Amino acid sequence: MLQRLRESKSLQGTLLASPAMLWMIALLIVPLLLIVITSFGQRDPDGNVIYTFTFDNYIRLMGFSADCPDGVGTCFNSLYLEILARSVGLALVTTIFTIVLGYPLAYYVARAPAKRRNMLLFLILVPLWTNFVIRVYAWIRILRAFEMLYTPQAVLVGMVYEFIPFMILPMYTSLEKIDPSLYEAAADLGASSLRTFLKVTLPLSLPGVVAGTLLVFVPVMGTFVVSDILGGKQFVLVGNLIQRQFLDARDPTFGAAASIVLMGMTLIVMIIYTRKFGFGEEVVIT
Amino acid sequence: MLKSSRTIWMGVVLLVIASLVLTACGGGAAPATQAPTSTQAPAEKPTDAPQPTEAAMEKPTEAALATEAPPSGAFVSKPSDKVTSSGFVCPEPQHKLDVQSKELNLFVWTQYIPDDAIECFELIYGVQVNRKEYESNEEMYASMTGGSSIYDLVQPTDYIISLMIRQGLLQKLDQSKLPVLQSFDPNYLNLPFDPNNNYTIPYQAGTDAIVYNADTVKDPPKSYADLWKFVDEGQMVSLDDSRAIIGATLLTLGYDVNTTDEKQLAEAKTKLAELAKGIKLYDSSSPKSALIAGDVDLGITWTGEAFLAQQENPAIKYVYPSEGAILWQDNYAMPKDAPHSDAAYAWLNYTMQPDLFFLMLRDFPYTMPSRGALEFARDSDLTIKDADGNTLAAADLYQAYADSPITNTPPEALKQGHRIEDVGDALPLYDQIWTEIKQ
Amino acid sequence: MSNRRSPWLTLTAVLVYGFLYLPIVVLIIFAFNSSRQNVTFEGIVNRDPCGPFYWFCRVFQNQDALDASVNTLRIALTSTVIATVIGTMAALALQRHAFRLKLFAETSLYIPIVIPEIVMGIGILVLFNALFKFINTTFDLAPAQRLGLGLGTVIISHVAFSVPFVTLTVRTRLHSFDRAVEEAAADLGANAWTTFRRVTLPLIMPGVVAGAMLAFTLSLDDFIITFFTNGPGSTTLPIYVYGLLRRTVTPEVNALSTMWILVVLIALFASNRVQRRTS
Repeated sequence: MLQRLRESKSLQGTLLASPAMLWMIALLIVPLLLIVITSFGQRDPDGNVIYTFTFDNYIRLMGFSADCPDGVGTCFNSLYLEILARSVGLALVTTIFTIVLGYPLAYYVARAPAKRRNMLLFLILVPLWTNFVIRVYAWIRILRAFEMLYTPQAVLVGMVYEFIPFMILPMYTSLEKIDPSLYEAAADLGASSLRTFLKVTLPLSLPGVVAGTLLVFVPVMGTFVVSDILGGKQFVLVGNLIQRQFLDARDPTFGAAASIVLMGMTLIVMIIYTRKFGFGEEVVIT
Repeated sequence: MLKSSRTIWMGVVLLVIASLVLTACGGGAAPATQAPTSTQAPAEKPTDAPQPTEAAMEKPTEAALATEAPPSGAFVSKPSDKVTSSGFVCPEPQHKLDVQSKELNLFVWTQYIPDDAIECFELIYGVQVNRKEYESNEEMYASMTGGSSIYDLVQPTDYIISLMIRQGLLQKLDQSKLPVLQSFDPNYLNLPFDPNNNYTIPYQAGTDAIVYNADTVKDPPKSYADLWKFVDEGQMVSLDDSRAIIGATLLTLGYDVNTTDEKQLAEAKTKLAELAKGIKLYDSSSPKSALIAGDVDLGITWTGEAFLAQQENPAIKYVYPSEGAILWQDNYAMPKDAPHSDAAYAWLNYTMQPDLFFLMLRDFPYTMPSRGALEFARDSDLTIKDADGNTLAAADLYQAYADSPITNTPPEALKQGHRIEDVGDALPLYDQIWTEIKQ
Repeated sequence: MSNRRSPWLTLTAVLVYGFLYLPIVVLIIFAFNSSRQNVTFEGIVNRDPCGPFYWFCRVFQNQDALDASVNTLRIALTSTVIATVIGTMAALALQRHAFRLKLFAETSLYIPIVIPEIVMGIGILVLFNALFKFINTTFDLAPAQRLGLGLGTVIISHVAFSVPFVTLTVRTRLHSFDRAVEEAAADLGANAWTTFRRVTLPLIMPGVVAGAMLAFTLSLDDFIITFFTNGPGSTTLPIYVYGLLRRTVTPEVNALSTMWILVVLIALFASNRVQRRTS
């Protein structure tokens, strides 16, 4: 039995992955199935779910509803699509900013003397170990002094701040792995710093950037607390929408549909992104 | 590489040790048992004229009460030998109940119960009080409908109670076990959302109304409709509460605050979209901060916030709009499968008896529905300490409460006020309107 | 290029660090605020006891805050350890082994990253409650023994959302891993476990550590999921502080945060000092 274990890579793989998989199945798959089922349901006057099968929630999300102000036919209301677009836009801009600001820092730490690296890394995370509310409140005071409070720029600053460590960390892990002798080799071959960066560093650090993008883009799509506090709750994002459906509007079916759409979108983006930038193959350095 | 992991683990271990040390040093403040230093004379209550009429207004179910309650009209506060960590002398329970449970699980609003009250209950009854807190009724409702049966008491606001009753989340209160009901002001009992108080007992009440900074606002608003004059300045704060604000808009149009008529709601949406341009932020957590900091000059907020803002900046004023303010009331209710209901009844009777309930006047500036608590504070010689260690006289607390139109809502405002009720099917429509006007 | 780092790079790095620490500095300053409402800075507090450190001293009397801190730490440490172990295992499996359920595992591990927190929170709540109801009624437990929400349920949920982050980070590391080293070890006679322990693990350690730190950070500040899965008496710091918003976030909380930072920084520098001495 143990012999078979030793020989079968497939069996080893299953065993290694099973604790994680079981955890996910138990705590996520089951509730997720419930959410999917709920999204096809209807709402009763008290906000409970009537388990039927209807696409109404999805149709409403896409903007088509049967009731129109003038009471005629079906009409298009781009409200929810706008919200989705706003969330995507914020996620994109935040990701770009975190890459631009985070890459130099990740590079700096990765090339730092080995003794200092861990400390520098920790220093990046320490601010995140203070309390979230207090951090954001500190930003309120700073932004108030710059008269930027309750504006879209304030929201961006807050988002970039909260998520930049999640970009830096993965970028660091792949940058750190690059063999320093590669740099020497490139220099010996006469490459300029810029060329070395473009041809050696950047491609080899790409997995880190990809991972970082996922760790930033996706949560920003679904988050709303920072935008609420710094934006004065003026900007409705998908996260707000979903939260409101489950709490204030007591419309879990609509909230479930919005969640599925959000998850579907981000899942597709994730899968395409990771496939394209090759998470599957291993890079062999010759 | 191994060295780096060792660094990490050492760091973590040190962190853990440090936290444990922190906790050990911080270790619970042991209740002081020295003799009370503040002067305290048991308040002898003269038989007030109002008291007999109160007894007459009691429901027939109070017959059970008459046999065990002391003659109504005479409230005598008896100090016990227990003192809290802040130096407050715990009173003896007026009606001591027999409690077998060792714990009490409260599911309550954040920051809404005086620490002294919790400590006194724990000391007198020897029951450990566990709290889980929420920030909104909706959070509470979502947790409760999730199906857990570990809470003994919740504090729902009026509009959600009928819904909770319909969903079978609450159990009927045994009023024979609630002699404390006698000390309440009848204006807060037997309200439409819970006739006969079968399920709830009042806790605190308040209003949502207009607030403005007299220093920066030269032409103060007197009605909700006046707020539309301030759109261009864009310095308004609004509650992040679809029902209250859409409701206020409906009132300006002359409609009912709980309407489900789609045409009326469409009108309200158009009008509210106008106002939204002038709203700088929506805040249902702490709108006073923006007022105090000067980010905004005026807006809509609730009792407690307005009072605290005024404390920091006396130029801030609270105005009951001519259309009628929104009234609300927070109440205690008992979830259906409460595991420690005996402790819950003891809690209700003890923490809301006048000589303990009056602490709310010190800690939380809301409208007090307990007549007994107000009278006790007014007639008492008691002095207590506040959070910063300053000494306050109970009578002064009462005076501050009575003098402020914010906490002591004028009767006309109460009469004109409107209560939010559940709108059933129309709720998603309200929410959609709310989402749209924010765009 | 190897060790000569351009001054521009250093400058940029310093600026970004500055950006990261700007609110921290503000936070610490406000821990000395004399105004209880703590909205604007009104000068340095000077009250008995402890004078300017008034709020720091008051934290130690605030049993709620201390309890919440301890809970938070317990939850974060426990869930991080569990998540790191099973997350690393999963990363190894996904990156190196082809097995039948691989696609399913991959997708399911992405879910916690894409799922909105409130959906996950409510979903898990419903699950736990159904489970507890079943157990409580089947075994007819007395009220005092009934299973309910508490620290345990919070830890379990935190592991659930941390594992994917660990897996992702470790996979990044494994991705550019040169298997030649492992093959060399095998050639020298090491078995699979020894190779793993003495060759692979040390080499992927930065990834594992990064993953662990991510998991710890996520757990420390989690709010929504913790709200739905915790019970009375297991309040965490984020929930406690968020609750204070309704009334006042007094400088006490700033003081508490400042102390947290100090402890962490001291631990950091101390362990770095120790490491330097041993190397």
